[in-house]
Amino acid sequence: MYLVADIDVDICAATSCKLCTQYCPEANTILYDDNAGKEKGLKYGAAYVAVDRCKGCAQCVWVCDNMAKHHAITMVMIDQLPKAAITDRITYLDQGGTKALAAPVEVA
Amino acid sequence: MSLDYVKFSPGFDKFMPKEYRDMVEHGPFGKKTTVSQMGSFKEILEEHPMCAGCAMTLFIRLAMISFPNPEDTITVGTAGCGRLAISQAAIPFVYGNYGDQNAVASGLSRGLKLRFGDIPKDVVVMAGDGGMADIGFSMTLHSWFRKERFTTIMLDNEVYGNTGGQESGMTNKGQVLKMAPLGKKFEKMDMIGMAKLAGCAYVATVVPNNPRRVESVIKKAVLIAREIGPTYIQAYTSCNIEYSIPTDKVLEDAKSVETDRYAFSEYVSDEAKEYLATRYGFKEYLPKPAAALPKA
Ligand SMILES: Cc1ncc(C[n+]2csc(CCOP(=O)(O)OP(=O)(O)O)c2C)c(N)n1
Ligand code: SF4
Ligand code: SF4
Ligand code: SF4
Repeated sequence: MYLVADIDVDICAATSCKLCTQYCPEANTILYDDNAGKEKGLKYGAAYVAVDRCKGCAQCVWVCDNMAKHHAITMVMIDQLPKAAITDRITYLDQGGTKALAAPVEVA
Repeated sequence: MSLDYVKFSPGFDKFMPKEYRDMVEHGPFGKKTTVSQMGSFKEILEEHPMCAGCAMTLFIRLAMISFPNPEDTITVGTAGCGRLAISQAAIPFVYGNYGDQNAVASGLSRGLKLRFGDIPKDVVVMAGDGGMADIGFSMTLHSWFRKERFTTIMLDNEVYGNTGGQESGMTNKGQVLKMAPLGKKFEKMDMIGMAKLAGCAYVATVVPNNPRRVESVIKKAVLIAREIGPTYIQAYTSCNIEYSIPTDKVLEDAKSVETDRYAFSEYVSDEAKEYLATRYGFKEYLPKPAAALPKA
């Protein structure tokens, strides 16, 4: 088992900082969904992690804790995530932004 | 080397992998994407085997987003960690023998100018400190003295990372490494000073913990290299493996190194300033308006 980053939508969607998307070393890994928060009645969208690309470095945790000061990201064992986004289920939208269909992660 | 080469041949799109379709339909080609849009479009850099949390990886990711015209860009690299990622992007990558990157890029950029004339085709070298300041040193310096028009970016992790921790000319004096157990005996080489001496039109030092600055530095360097002359960027891209930096402290390290020996610096020749202002509308280099005449 291994750790991946997990973003708390409720905390993230209270701001619109998007900082972690610029600091993850891996491309196409922390993505932004402009509607994630709004669907839950929150103010903004939220960042989320394509867990199949995450290498578990926890740099995003440092960025969210120390630069953004929002404490929205934790490292979680991948089989403990109830649902997660993976590349195959992510749609890039024509107007910019993305949408993920989070689903239970199957770990062999 | 054009917008067309990424497009699907008619009828083939449904057989392409999702990542490829996303890249064609929602990637940066032919658009002006910026670091502030990161996370909202498909990046051209794909998965690669560089270590988790490597600052060099982050820098390469930012560089790929910052190229002014990714569809008209070729990267040139050499042995070392960086090529493991640079080669996994949807732009052509040329890989020669260890250290010959600036010689290869010289021929390549001249050939592209012969073939395409004034249509800009950008050549960008990205290589490690060992490949650039040690093994490829003469080819790097000679390309600058010859005023070859392409961009050279040093991925300076201050060590030979890919081969397990030998010292390079860019390692700091006294630094102990796995394969330099007695500590390095001489000072870090002043490649910035040498780039200026050799006539580079743009020279900058940068760390990856300021994405917008990385973007600005790379855009300027690539644009200036189109017409004015050689450009050089030296980026601090720590090796968390050889320097034993916990991955969640990599950005903290970059921040402290920036306040110490890797402060941001930027040299732009007068000719390059004028070119950026007149050709690309860089306001910061526009001539200052003459001060209003004092009232009589
Ligand atoms: C002619 C030649 N000599 C030696 C090597 C072995 N080699 C591969 S990568 C490397 C070191 C790379 O160090 P650096 O250029 O600093 O890049 P880094 O891996 O640190 O990014 C060496 C010596 C080689 N590939 N070719
Ligand atoms: S840094 Fe934190 S608050 Fe900001 S976008 Fe990322 S997860 Fe959300
Ligand atoms: S843990 Fe590392 S690789 Fe994973 S999302 Fe965070 S910064 Fe990116
Ligand atoms: S060995 Fe060092 S420079 Fe190379 S990928 Fe790993 S952390 Fe990065």
